[in-house]
Amino acid sequence: MARVEVESEVTGKVWKVEVGVGDRVAEGDVLVILESMKMEIPVESPHAGTVAELRVAADEPVQEDQVVAVIAT
Amino acid sequence: MGWEEEVQEIHRRRKLAKQQGGEEGIAKQHAQGRLTVRERIDALLDPDTFEEQGKATAIPDYDGDDKFLGFVPANYVVGFGKIEGRRVVVGGEDFTLKGGSPNAAGLRKSVYAEHLAVQYKAPLVRMLEGGGGSVKGGGRRGGTVGDPVFSAPRFRIIADAMGHVPIVSVACGAVAGFPAGRLVAAHFSVMSRRTAQVLIGGPALVERALGVSMTKDELGGAQVHARSGVVDNLAEDERDAFAQARRFLGYLPSSVDQRAPRTATDDNPERMEEELLHAVPRNARTGFDMRAIVRMVMDVDSFFEIGATYGRSQIAGFARLDGQPVGILANDCMVYAGAMTAEAAQKYRRFVEMCDTFHLPIVNFVDQPGFMIGPEAERKGTIRYGMAAVCAAVQARVPWASIQVHKGFGVATAAHYGPDAYVLSWPSVETGALPVEGGVAVAFHREIEAADDPEARRRELEEQLRAGRSPFPRAESFAVHELIDPRETRPALCRWIDWIQPLLDDLTGPTSFPVRP
Repeated sequence: MARVEVESEVTGKVWKVEVGVGDRVAEGDVLVILESMKMEIPVESPHAGTVAELRVAADEPVQEDQVVAVIAT
Repeated sequence: MGWEEEVQEIHRRRKLAKQQGGEEGIAKQHAQGRLTVRERIDALLDPDTFEEQGKATAIPDYDGDDKFLGFVPANYVVGFGKIEGRRVVVGGEDFTLKGGSPNAAGLRKSVYAEHLAVQYKAPLVRMLEGGGGSVKGGGRRGGTVGDPVFSAPRFRIIADAMGHVPIVSVACGAVAGFPAGRLVAAHFSVMSRRTAQVLIGGPALVERALGVSMTKDELGGAQVHARSGVVDNLAEDERDAFAQARRFLGYLPSSVDQRAPRTATDDNPERMEEELLHAVPRNARTGFDMRAIVRMVMDVDSFFEIGATYGRSQIAGFARLDGQPVGILANDCMVYAGAMTAEAAQKYRRFVEMCDTFHLPIVNFVDQPGFMIGPEAERKGTIRYGMAAVCAAVQARVPWASIQVHKGFGVATAAHYGPDAYVLSWPSVETGALPVEGGVAVAFHREIEAADDPEARRRELEEQLRAGRSPFPRAESFAVHELIDPRETRPALCRWIDWIQPLLDDLTGPTSFPVRP
């Protein structure tokens, strides 16, 4: 079992968290939606697996390359 | 008796020069997952097209007692070859000999690569590996040191070549010092993801100077340079890097004195993609895939992206339209809404200058919300780099077409139109000095504050302004050439490609500005 860190590609703010810890996700499923420069930017799961960690919550600021979630594959 | 003996010696020396660093040196190179320079040349070129220059260059080797030991081949290999039947110059260090650090004969050939490319008007592909000069061999007593004061600057030809022929650099292993400088003095640079590093100074120098202990991968591996902009593209391995070099050159003329090669295509210029009608969401907060739009409009499979991991809000690359090579610029709204960051601006300026140098028409898909704002953007000096991008565009001489796709706000938008640009507008476009949100709060702050219900007044003003931003009045006023159905984009652009053919005939020759890394 591998743990994959999912990083934000942009600086912004967490708008919505779409999954919970323990949820099964498919590749491409939206984990978190960020708001950056007035656009909604989905952060997608790069692999199928289970959400092992969520490191951000709604309204929190996020930096470029910050890990927002960890997926166990 | 003829010259049989000398002829035999010629052949012996040619054979010797091809031995490179010997079996041991070659095995070591392979064990580290890297090709030798001659394997690299073969992998890059069309089969059996390499025409080596200086086949017998070597330096005599003596032991401590001045006893002659034999010849050591020059550790730089250079010559002509063909890519898709078109002549190029290719050169590279032989890392199996002295780690590519040039021996005397190697240095002469290395410096010759640019001369050869410029003289014969052929693109240059550099295969770089090594650390440049070495302190070994210095400090001998007697003789002369340094270059004569009247000698021409050694790097002059490297600078000049960029304004004459397409130059591609491939980082094939650790590239440090002068070779790293040579790497970036190119129009396209690519590094193999796992076996190459690019460094000004390696780990030993860094530790000595700064007390920081880092590996060469940590200092200058693919992870670093994907974001630094030092290389344009990453490649899976050396062969992928050579494939990218071949592909890049296919869009360009052999020199600034020629036209880029227009190729035959089976793709119908009148093709209209249904999906384009739905490509941009009605909700302005929802992003979309700009690359998919570019691919649908351009000739099938012709889009080659350059620098995707650097300045990511701006997409740049080559493509073909009805067989005509064109430069593509497009905003990626999934990264900072497509805003022009300091990195995106530098990428933009360099790309426009490259297209201008090789007279490639530019097609620009505009979704520009403006320069990036915020504390980081201010610290990075974004406005200076952004204005340089604007200047490059407004002084460009190449034919230019812009498709207003989504947004066009602020000064940064000026970077998306060259002089006499052909302007097409999609119904999804919104343009102006500032976006309505934010812009209204700034311009009408007194009026909003004085209202009984400030929030309601703000929304009312925003609605009024938004209605005024419909693209229809701009089309009526001939502020754009045509307001089009997005599906009509390809046919419209292919017609434009036909119109500009006489302009391209007249555009050859060097540009008025020098091209710099």
